[in-house]
Order: sequence, then structure tokens, then C-alpha cells
Amino acid sequence: MPFPLGRPLGVADDSEFQTDVLRSALRLLETATQPTIADFPRQAPDGNGNGVWACSITMPEPDVSDLESALRREVDLLMPWYEETRRSRGRTTIGMSGATPEQIDAVVSLVAACAEGEGFSEVPAAASEPNWIHPMPMLLRYAVEDLRAFYQEAVTSRPGTRPPSQHDMHTWIFEQTALGQALLQIGHRIAEVGDQPLLMMRGFIIPEGFWVDGPTWGQQTRNPGGAQGLSHATAYLAGERP
Amino acid sequence: MVLLSELHPEEAQHMRNMGERFAQMPLDDTPFVTPPPLAEATIALITSAGLHRRDDRPFRFGDQGYRIIPNDVDPADLVQTQVSVNFDRTHYQRDVNVVLPLDRMRELAQAGEIGAVSEWHYSVLGSNPNPYLLKDAAADLAQRMRDSGVDCAMLTPV
Repeated sequence: MPFPLGRPLGVADDSEFQTDVLRSALRLLETATQPTIADFPRQAPDGNGNGVWACSITMPEPDVSDLESALRREVDLLMPWYEETRRSRGRTTIGMSGATPEQIDAVVSLVAACAEGEGFSEVPAAASEPNWIHPMPMLLRYAVEDLRAFYQEAVTSRPGTRPPSQHDMHTWIFEQTALGQALLQIGHRIAEVGDQPLLMMRGFIIPEGFWVDGPTWGQQTRNPGGAQGLSHATAYLAGERP
Repeated sequence: MVLLSELHPEEAQHMRNMGERFAQMPLDDTPFVTPPPLAEATIALITSAGLHRRDDRPFRFGDQGYRIIPNDVDPADLVQTQVSVNFDRTHYQRDVNVVLPLDRMRELAQAGEIGAVSEWHYSVLGSNPNPYLLKDAAADLAQRMRDSGVDCAMLTPV
């Protein structure tokens, strides 16, 4: 299936196309006589979305001298559109960190505190309100994803429009928003600490192509190796220290 | 599966490296089972999207377990604690069927194209640098599906 990662059925809100993907896979059960790989012949009808999207909300120029205030301005600006999306879709994907949508200000506090150098071991005091469901530092990764979900759901609110491609969304966030600037600042803070599992986590926050100082994962952390290496990285990112 | 030509070169190389590592992982054999006719088959979904119910345990990086998703789950009750930044979430945010095609499966069952949809579906965390560590969970999951009358599993890789 020649679709972007994260879209195994091809495209949202297109039941005919999704059903075609399913039928094609299921028919192999009736025709295959041995383990079989088959290509799905159709492209996603949105052409994978590249270049068809532009943000319809005018965002202020990010003020990198005060990232927390800049983040809060963006959240305030996007809030009506986020609420509209949540209402029209009947759902939100915020909640990965444990925060509720009503606690988005605390998510901003956590991300801003990490960007401004409060470290990655403890939950910043200013962000203690939500019932977080991950320990630091991995909590930061999911807080970032909650904030991204807030932004993405806000700017894709207009019904009838195609969602942006992943690359278009990354480009908008990292080149035009204070959120992107905060994430890059976090990337630099991680580089200052220099721990290998933290560099791995940077690869969970900043996609390749949007980090300027080499691979976002660092040079040696992409594959933690066998069970022991994975166990070490998992424990470290779950906040367990020897 | 995305075309490697559409990935950033670092990501494409990572995929190639992972593919080479996976090819070296031991498989005892390549079993093949002939399922019942589709119109009689009960089918479950297994996604690597890291989806789970909001009150379920979140996935951890390297998580070696699975989560259970009931067929009648409210999509608003699902969250996705996937660690990777390298996949498109905007379509999932809009329509859960692009990852977990619950509505499409029900439609196929109602049309008689498949026998039934399983009462339960399953989710794992796909961004696992050593998927061989999921072997025990996979065996347990297979037994659970067999016990609940599932004939076939549809994998939706994320």
C-alpha cells in the first residue's frame, strides 16, 4: 500500500477507498496458496496531500525571546478552531499525556519549562496539575504530542478540506509557530545534556529534516540493539535511574 | 507501507537497516493456513498504531504487550500513545477508520462479504526496534483469538 506512514487505509473520510483497501487484502485469503505479498494498485486519492494545504489562520511571528508567552498567544488564537473541530468530529485525540483538553495550559507550561532549561528529570512545578500518566522524561514526548494534536485539530477544522500531508504539517509547525521554536529549543537542551536515550527521545519529537545539526537522533542512538539495549533505553526514558 | 522514496534519506536508511535486522531474526518456519470462506470467517483487527482506551495502560517505549479494543468502542474513547513522530496523524485525528477500520469491517459484515467482526480487536506499539520481543505477546494474542472464535486477523501497520 503506497500510503504515508500512519495511513494504512489510505485516506480519511473516504469509505469507498478504505473499503477497496480492505477488500483487496481480504481477497488474498481466498486466492493465496502460500505466504504472499501483493501491491495495492491505487494511489491515495489526495495524492498523499503534498502541497494542497495552507494554514487558513494567520499566526503571529513567533517571539523566541519569550517562548511561553508566544505559545500561550498561539493557543488562545487557535482555541476557537480547536473547539469547533472537537464539536464537529465529536472527539479529540488529546489525552496522550494524561492531560484533558481543559488542561492544555498545563501542557504549555510543561513544554515551555523544558524549552527554557528546567531539565528533564522532574515535572516542572508550574505543570503539576494534570494527572500525568507517564513519568519524565517520556512525559515530555507525549505532552508535545498533545500540543501538536491541539494545533493540528485546530487548523484542519474546516469541513470539506483535505488534511495536510505530514510534511506540510511539520513544515508549518517548525517554520511558522512558536511551538516549533520551543521544540527546537528543547532539542538544543537535550544536546547540552548529551545523554544517549535523551537524544533518542529528541528523535521522537523532531522529525528528520527539521533538525539542522545532523540527524535528530544523534549519531549512535537510532537502534538501541538487543533486549538489553532496549531495556536500558526504556528504563531511562521511564525515569528510572541506576 | 510507505515508499522509501517518499521518506527523508535518514528515515529511508533506517527502514532499510531495520529490514535487514528483521530478516536475520529467527523464524522456525513459514506456516500457512487455509481459512474458511470469507463469507463465513470471523475477522479481528490488529493495529500497530499504539491505540488504547483512555482508561487503559498507556504504551511505553519498547512496550512488549498488547491492548484490547472492543468492537463497539466509541472512537472518542481512544488515544494513541505511539512514540514515533514519523507518521501522519492528521488523517487519524479526522477519521479513526484510516487506522482501525471498525466502520468498514461492520459494513462488510452487514453486506455478507465477511462472516462476522470479532467482538475484540487488538493494538500493539509499532515503533519497536526489536519486534522479536513481542513474540510471547503474539503467541498469547493468537491463542486468545482462537479461543474467541476468530478465523483471521487483519493487520493495519502504522
